[in-house]
Amino acid sequence: MPTTDFMQRLDLDERELASRRAFFEITDEDLERLARLRPLADRHSDQVVEALYQLILGHAESRAFFTDESAVRHVKKMQHEYFVGLFQGRLDLAYVENRLRVGAAHERIGLAPKWYIGAYGRYLRLIFDRMFAELGAETGAAVKSITKLVMFDMSIAIDTYIAANLDTVARHQAAIRELSTPVIRVYSRVLLLPLVGTVDSHRAEQIMETLLLRVVEEQARAIIVDIAGVPLVDTMVADHLLKTTEAVRLLGAETILTGISAQIARTIVQLGVDISTMHTRSRLADGIELALALCGRTIGARPA
Amino acid sequence: MKAKGTIPILRVGDILLVTVQTDLHDAVAEAFQEDLLAEIERTGAAGLLIDLTGLDIVDSYVARVLADTAKMARLMGTETVIVGIRPEVAATLVRMGYTMSGVRTALNVDEGLAMLPSRR
Repeated sequence: MPTTDFMQRLDLDERELASRRAFFEITDEDLERLARLRPLADRHSDQVVEALYQLILGHAESRAFFTDESAVRHVKKMQHEYFVGLFQGRLDLAYVENRLRVGAAHERIGLAPKWYIGAYGRYLRLIFDRMFAELGAETGAAVKSITKLVMFDMSIAIDTYIAANLDTVARHQAAIRELSTPVIRVYSRVLLLPLVGTVDSHRAEQIMETLLLRVVEEQARAIIVDIAGVPLVDTMVADHLLKTTEAVRLLGAETILTGISAQIARTIVQLGVDISTMHTRSRLADGIELALALCGRTIGARPA
Repeated sequence: MKAKGTIPILRVGDILLVTVQTDLHDAVAEAFQEDLLAEIERTGAAGLLIDLTGLDIVDSYVARVLADTAKMARLMGTETVIVGIRPEVAATLVRMGYTMSGVRTALNVDEGLAMLPSRR
């Protein structure tokens, strides 16, 4: 997902930026102070980045994220830019968008927040060490300013990380949903929907929607719904099947329910569900024959 | 053909063919029903085919008017087939518990026509 989309996902506009700035208590004075520290940052940037990667590359688990030397060179370069970015004395939407990339990139490679936060701890200590050594009376104020901005950056990175993660989860859920309603074209104008697993209301709704779209797309005459893989057919499932059948009929096609075991047949009748409006067959093969018959075709033996 | 409403009714041989393109508001739906029945009376058509492909929304009122029209037409000896109901429309109608039972349906105009009788 491009960073501009994350800006939208996190509602990061001028108003949100102002609100965050206020909560992190980042004043113009802080930004000016950081800008004044720019020469110090430039002087130590190489050392700080090197020391940071000593930590990261010193742990097998965090090192595993960097495949080779060129990858390390690349991230070190990014790190330079990041570091210097802290001392440019501006905090606008462009800055935020730049910081967004950190979280998004970490999520993409599967780097857990603990590594990010841990490394940031070392980062701060490295910066503080140099401030204490060089700044004298101004040190206290400088430490406060840099901490505010770093915390702000971390909030953006973590928010992006979570948003990216949620997107990934949503994508997986969509994939699972798609897999859970495979509509197969078994013959011209004959569709097969093999149902496997539990059918809840959410899934039933989705089955109906997918199926109806496919019926129109394929101009299907007959739809075989095979429920051999559905462990439990209760009144709710039966009701959903009936609704789907009715909707399919409105489109001008017919539904055939197959895979009805003795157990399911018994349950349906005992529950008092009337599915006499549906074509039903116990075996899928019989359902296919019926479907073809509805299309004016038959399966016959090859003449000897 | 003289229609009071805005929906044109075409006569193709022994069949009346209606393609609904505009949303059927309550008043339009009633005028539509009146026009259709008048046309059936005038022509003695054997079949009536209503194509709903152009409709994104069919509420329960319109669905009832359509189903009633089919029943009325049958009383006058005219068979009705409704074709081209959209997936989302079908899903909505069924969710509302409105299934237009007794009304014959087909996927498209071709198949609808094949289901209708012809007196010639």
